[in-house]
Amino acid sequence: MTTYDDQLALPSGLSDGPRQPLGIFARPRNANGFVDWLTTVDHKKIGIMYGAASLFFLIIGGVAALLIRIQLATPNNTFLSGDAYNRIFTMHGTVMVFLVVMPMGAAFANFLMPLQVGARDVAFPRINAFSFWVFFAGGLMLNTSWFIGGGAPNGGWFNYAPNNGVAFSPAAGIDFWNIGLLITGIGSLTGSINLITTVLNMRAPGMTLMKMPIFVWMTLVTQFLLLFAIPVLTVAQVLLAADRLFGANFFNVELGADPLLWQHLFWIFGHPEVYLMILPAFGIVSEVIPTFARKPIFGYPFMVFSGVAIGFMGWGVWAHHMFVSGIGPLSVTAFSVATMFIAVPTGVKILNWLATMWGGKLILNTAMLFSIGLVTQFTIGGLSGVSHAIAPSDTQQTDTYYIVAHFHYVLFGGALFGFVAGFYFWWPKAFGYRLGERLGKWNFWTMVLGFNLTFGPMHILGLQGMPRRMQTYDPAMGFGLWNMVASWGSFILALGILMLLVNVVQSHLAWRRAGRPNVGADPWDGRTIEWSIQSPAPSHNFDVDPAVTSLDDFWHRKYQPDETGKLRRIHTGDEIAQPGDPTGVHLPAPSYWPIVLAMSMPIVGYALIFNLWLMIPGVLLMTLSLWGWALEPADDLDPHDDDGAGQGDSASPDGGDGATAEPELETVS
Amino acid sequence: MRRGVRRFWVVVLSGALLAACAEDKPLNTFEPRGPKARDIDSLMVWIWPIMGIVFVLVIGGAIAIALRNRVRPEDYDAEDLPAQTHGNTPLELAWTIAPAVLLAAISFPMVQGIWSLEEENAEGDLDVMVIGQQWWWEYRYDVDGDGFFTDANGDGVSNQDLTGDDAELPLDISLDPDDIVTANELVIPAGEQVDLIMTSRDVIHSFWIPRLNGKRDTVPGRWHTWSVEADEPGKFTGWCTEFCGLSHSRMRMSAIALSAEDFDEWFENQASPAEIPTDPDALAGRELFQNNCQQCHVINDGDLAYADDFRTNVPLVSLAAPDLTHFASRTSFAGGVYSTYAGGPEDDSTDANDDGLDPDVYLQLAELSAAPDSPDDYRFNAAELKRWVSNAPSRKDMAPDANPETGLGRGMPAFESLTDEQLDQIVAYLATLD
Amino acid sequence: MTDTAAREMPLEPENELQDDVAVVDDHGSDIAGHDDHEGHHSSLGLSNMKLAMWLFLGSECLLFGALISTYLLSKARFLTELVALNPRVLDGLRDGGMPEELIQEFIAEGSVEPIFDIPFTSGSSFILLMSSLTMVFAHKAVSEGNYRNSRVWLAATALLGSTFMAGQVYEFTIFFREGLTYGGSLFGSGFFTLTGFHGAHVTGGIIMLLSLLVLSFRGKLQSNRAETVELVGLYWHFVDIVWVLIFTIVYLIP
Repeated sequence: MTTYDDQLALPSGLSDGPRQPLGIFARPRNANGFVDWLTTVDHKKIGIMYGAASLFFLIIGGVAALLIRIQLATPNNTFLSGDAYNRIFTMHGTVMVFLVVMPMGAAFANFLMPLQVGARDVAFPRINAFSFWVFFAGGLMLNTSWFIGGGAPNGGWFNYAPNNGVAFSPAAGIDFWNIGLLITGIGSLTGSINLITTVLNMRAPGMTLMKMPIFVWMTLVTQFLLLFAIPVLTVAQVLLAADRLFGANFFNVELGADPLLWQHLFWIFGHPEVYLMILPAFGIVSEVIPTFARKPIFGYPFMVFSGVAIGFMGWGVWAHHMFVSGIGPLSVTAFSVATMFIAVPTGVKILNWLATMWGGKLILNTAMLFSIGLVTQFTIGGLSGVSHAIAPSDTQQTDTYYIVAHFHYVLFGGALFGFVAGFYFWWPKAFGYRLGERLGKWNFWTMVLGFNLTFGPMHILGLQGMPRRMQTYDPAMGFGLWNMVASWGSFILALGILMLLVNVVQSHLAWRRAGRPNVGADPWDGRTIEWSIQSPAPSHNFDVDPAVTSLDDFWHRKYQPDETGKLRRIHTGDEIAQPGDPTGVHLPAPSYWPIVLAMSMPIVGYALIFNLWLMIPGVLLMTLSLWGWALEPADDLDPHDDDGAGQGDSASPDGGDGATAEPELETVS
Repeated sequence: MRRGVRRFWVVVLSGALLAACAEDKPLNTFEPRGPKARDIDSLMVWIWPIMGIVFVLVIGGAIAIALRNRVRPEDYDAEDLPAQTHGNTPLELAWTIAPAVLLAAISFPMVQGIWSLEEENAEGDLDVMVIGQQWWWEYRYDVDGDGFFTDANGDGVSNQDLTGDDAELPLDISLDPDDIVTANELVIPAGEQVDLIMTSRDVIHSFWIPRLNGKRDTVPGRWHTWSVEADEPGKFTGWCTEFCGLSHSRMRMSAIALSAEDFDEWFENQASPAEIPTDPDALAGRELFQNNCQQCHVINDGDLAYADDFRTNVPLVSLAAPDLTHFASRTSFAGGVYSTYAGGPEDDSTDANDDGLDPDVYLQLAELSAAPDSPDDYRFNAAELKRWVSNAPSRKDMAPDANPETGLGRGMPAFESLTDEQLDQIVAYLATLD
Repeated sequence: MTDTAAREMPLEPENELQDDVAVVDDHGSDIAGHDDHEGHHSSLGLSNMKLAMWLFLGSECLLFGALISTYLLSKARFLTELVALNPRVLDGLRDGGMPEELIQEFIAEGSVEPIFDIPFTSGSSFILLMSSLTMVFAHKAVSEGNYRNSRVWLAATALLGSTFMAGQVYEFTIFFREGLTYGGSLFGSGFFTLTGFHGAHVTGGIIMLLSLLVLSFRGKLQSNRAETVELVGLYWHFVDIVWVLIFTIVYLIP
């Protein structure tokens, strides 16, 4: 199928050096591997860094969750003070939403999407690196508030005005929340532009929109949601920063401001946010389930259009977070009806997944189990969602633990289960070995048990009237039993997540002990073209542009009907996989500037919070890095880069030609 | 509707377990005790079973398919492919349209429900102004029943103004000497819809008495309307449900519904000034109160001067504190956290948050506690009140230290300079304010 | 943030386009094997940079939409409170040093119009609009390889933009002297934030234009780079259109 005749090599035969085929995991073995990771513009490494960062933040957010559960295990508990509790639940929500679930989606989008569309990298590799580093810088800055500036933010992840004002939250914690997330927002925005451009413009020849894998579709929808949602949050944050730092009055009720402005802006961002957290996970299970059911996704067009419909409808339902805010019955009616109907496309997805499994021959490995876990757990979250789309019912349920249960079923049982399924599924493609199945199954069942023990009882607590964000409750309220159950459940759940981390370490060590055996290009009998390249994915991705003729192109190259019309396997995946030959490929060179530019942002942030003199180094560094970025030769390694990694690239005459060609062209002066 | 809960949850967890635990939940949303809450509940009574059916079908279906179609690794055969169905458009259209139709059907009663919750009571019925503040509730009753409260300039503000669309609303709310001003315990006549006209002095709070109605936010700078109605006399517990800062978890309240006669009696008592005590300890306490507490608290006993600065200019950050004119007539203090009275024949806890209070004794609490016969009888909770007066921030998280930006603190400061005897005297004085 | 993003986007193509130049020179029409930033082909027939710029501008629409909504709400609430003679709102204006006559005019008219100098702002708006025209000429000149004209038009665009900015700075100074401060009222906060954000965007555009001018003088702005100019032009036109919207909403509609 794949001939190399059409391979369009540069005559100089540029290569990534003799180490090819290189895994993305090979470079860290290098003595200078660390610098390589800091300066890489390879979408796969950036994806892996997104994943690692989100797991790091998951530990922070998870410890916060356990502290909350310890505090709430018994009535009138004094384990955490009211102040500490408010800070911890604020950070738990903020970290989990902005620094765990969102970047985990970005991890898959970055690592996987270019592979699935058959691109060599994203459209703007350096901006991609910048997006990651600026997210990471903002996340770190937010988390420094544990130690400096008078404590972590204490206004809740939603940070409602006017409680977020200086008058009510004088400590700098809210500023850390505000500026830190403003900075991560820059990364989300640049990332979304980059990824949308990649999907729309860099697909392999023949891959029309309706031949894209569903994960790519969901990534596209997600990134469009980000593109339009982030600026609204940015405006809210700018207004808050103006109020807190420069004495503006946007939320100053004394001068007539309306505090609901914050809620509108926040939820116009916040509701698309909800969908952009779950859609990548939907995309993941839409890849995993067909692979392990061994039949195509049921109703591809419906899956695509329901995803797009969710993306559109997600913009028209924000005020369902405000049914009791006093927005008037007319608005409540409109948003309530709109919210009910967003259940339709979601329901279509669930039924189509079930129909995909129907009549399949299911291989119930860990990735598949987590995918089925998503389908079932998300359904519970979706059903409780319908019950509070009904506005009168929501007046009883909102701000109670029923809502807490609902969105954990959606975000944990939905998004996170999907992401874990994705980890198990694409781990071989990223690192060259599978995660252990035995521990994987323990991981799944422990997580399902812990998850349902933790969040299942919260439905009951909420309907029994336990409000959210309560540091403690009274024994006479009768919440003791189920809170105790939930607290035990949370530790089982934490154990489940620990098993995932242990599995990563254990599988890696086992693989190393076995002498790093090659897992093969196609360990799962995969369907999409990322399985047509070696594992771990070589840094140049595809030796030649894959020519795509159908949906699930790779699978159709392996299975073709015989004379009788029966499908036969004519090739194994490894037979037709690209060998990972980098001849003639040259890759974008790494760059220092993305990380330097990103790191200048928190300095400006600290300047706004603590001392405006810090602006000078911050802005200088920012200007310098923008300047360096602009003037950096495209193909030359950065002159300061002496780590040797990828020096082969710097031999490229291409960039040099580009630079020298221009003076010759200069005819007018 | 406990039946509804059970129907829904019987599939999730053991129904029997739940039933055993559904007792004594003062905030339970499934035990409506008033028409508004019942409207919500009866709307949902149809929804829960539908959700239950979908739940069983989808989850059960997923598990059944997974078990039935499972292929064990040892049976795996790459050549043995299942039928490669790509989809079935009529089927998919069906499961797109069917839920849409179902949801459309649900949305008719839902829309009706939304608007019925907004229905106001008749002209001349009782309206109460509800003001949220970190971390307690203030209620004002329109004594003369003309629908007017007063604003800072002494101008009348009618509830019509407050609910109109283009109302020009005062931010300042002052005491009308003729208003009844009380805190944390909303006393209402049973069987009558009482409209609430709500705002906040500082941050957003949310007013929620689950057995009487859903919740509605109180937002500074805005006036929202809501209503409560109880079928029968009783005590109904509530809780602030919008995160409002440090002591959000200790911003509790209750509604006490009284029979029409009891309510009139209560109303008359509240509208009259407090009596000046004769007992020397209490008198000394009154003097101490004037010197220490009056900056923020008000006791209208016809003699004591008002704390004028906050009458005319209620700051958005708290300096205002609960009106204590009839402190001893309430069953709880400190934002509904502590019980003013302990004991009683039905109740062996000092807990402010159960609903075990017999509403028939509500008006006699002070009398009953004045001469307890047995340890089970009502007693004034002097010990807790004393701890509270001496060091309130240690009993409830508050931020009384002045904020450098505004010069104001939030919540009650500690009074460490008061001696033990002085504290006793203040408590003795407060106990007389029934 | 948008400012930073705005500034770096147009700077990016320099490298991409250098590659193209090189590739085209080396291999004739054969750029498919070259897999750098620009990609081997374009599925939409639109360059990555241009697509990215359109996406960025789409995102900016939401940014300005939210800012304009905020301004409208702030102004409405300010006027409501002012007409109701809310003492705090009055004190806020007086503390900023606003003369009593102007306050009374606000109240009497129930509008913030008395502070605006419509003819002046119309003039500077016209100047900004004209700069869109010169921007079009600049792009045309660059595509035609007319270097002298391209420099003239780029400089003219930057100059017109700077004139507009000077007008805005002057206007801000006048308003400030008349007592409309940033922190004194809800209207002040809303007005300065909205127009200031727009001003920052114009400033970013001027920096881009000057960078192009520098490139041109260094001989690096040939017709094969017309797209870079086009991208800056897209941004510049967008900023102009936003100003037309802001001018109408803030100044003209009472």
